[in-house]
Amino acid sequence: MAATAPFRVGMKEIYLPNFNIVLTRTPSQPPTSATFLTPLWFSKLDLRDYLYHAYDIRIGPSIRSYVQQSAIRQGQVKDPARPQYKRWHRPRATKRITVELERPFVWPKMPEDLGEWKPVENKMAGVEQQGMQERMGGASDAFAVEEGRRRGMREQARALLEGREKWRPGGK
Amino acid sequence: MASIHCSSASLLRSVFTTTTTRASVLPPAFLVPAFNITQTSSFSSTTPAQARKDGNRNRGVSALRHTGIGRKQKLGVSLANLPKPVLDPQKRSTVDVDEDHGLWDFFYPSRELFPTPEESHAHGRAWTVPELRVKDWDDLHRLWWTCVKENNRSATAMLARQKAAARSGMYGDYEANARHEVVAETMKKIKFVLTERWYAWENARMSAMEDEEVDLYADVEKGEEAYLPGRAGDEPLALGTKADALTDSGKAIPPPDAAGTTREARL
Repeated sequence: MAATAPFRVGMKEIYLPNFNIVLTRTPSQPPTSATFLTPLWFSKLDLRDYLYHAYDIRIGPSIRSYVQQSAIRQGQVKDPARPQYKRWHRPRATKRITVELERPFVWPKMPEDLGEWKPVENKMAGVEQQGMQERMGGASDAFAVEEGRRRGMREQARALLEGREKWRPGGK
Repeated sequence: MASIHCSSASLLRSVFTTTTTRASVLPPAFLVPAFNITQTSSFSSTTPAQARKDGNRNRGVSALRHTGIGRKQKLGVSLANLPKPVLDPQKRSTVDVDEDHGLWDFFYPSRELFPTPEESHAHGRAWTVPELRVKDWDDLHRLWWTCVKENNRSATAMLARQKAAARSGMYGDYEANARHEVVAETMKKIKFVLTERWYAWENARMSAMEDEEVDLYADVEKGEEAYLPGRAGDEPLALGTKADALTDSGKAIPPPDAAGTTREARL
């Protein structure tokens, strides 16, 4: 295929590539353009050759690249186990290359029904997990006992005082 | 000086006393020349307007100063015939995407924006090392590129889903990550097999260097025999002979031929 390429093919021979090229959704751009996230060392010519040889995509003469610096974040690593205060790092920058396509391409539409991805359950689980972390965390004594549990304890105490139930060591 | 001053004051006194009503209408006769002075040279250094009549139609037209077009200018289109932008996205004409567009390879076969968790979960196990050992370089290379494209696909879907999940939380990351791990394991096994193969080749080459029955310099294409059985022990190793050259590690040994590098991906 290299001999039939309509442009001068590069000389970097990569047999086993271990990087990802990600196509990003850019609704504000016309259908004749596509934006990719690439490694930082990738050049415009690299992307042209990659798209031509791996995906059979021919691109027009216009190609733009842009390196976006990341904002600084707390912690030394990407996802620390516990928050690391007073430690800051800047995640690696991302490179975006926008190419002009010879044939227009429109992204598929957003699915109408997101029920397959269970957004309601996801939100409930998030709320439950946050409550659990607050109850189990270091500030657990600052939070009052949950309302339902409090009511149950009151009922249990009243039953013991009135003699309806009898306390036995080790539970029932 | 004092006498002049007194004389001028005495001269003017009669004037000031007599011209009480006519002073506002007309200046006195001796002051008329002062009012009739005409300016002969311009105070401004700007080029006069007549000098700019050079036939340039765009003279004085500026986009920065919002002057609009000049009176003598004519545009190719009239304002009445200008196309109007379609503000409603529903009324815009749709673009027909080719079925064989290369960018479809960045999506799963269902061609949805991102797969459902069930679709992500529907995958098999990774390739094992014994399965990969029997494959040649072309097959391994093809499988590697299949994994690379699958990685690109899953990363594209992951980004699209996380953008959509920013509005409403969504499941699916776990299934996508599990699928990615299978692909990553396959790629790891491919590299393992290739490394194993390289060491097998290197060990064979080293033992062939020590084996006197093997001629590493034989050109097989020209009909020379690379394997010469029964040559070992025929004659003692003498300096300067061909057998000595075989065992001389200082000589350049031909490197392992990069077999199967015909299909090369160039970037």
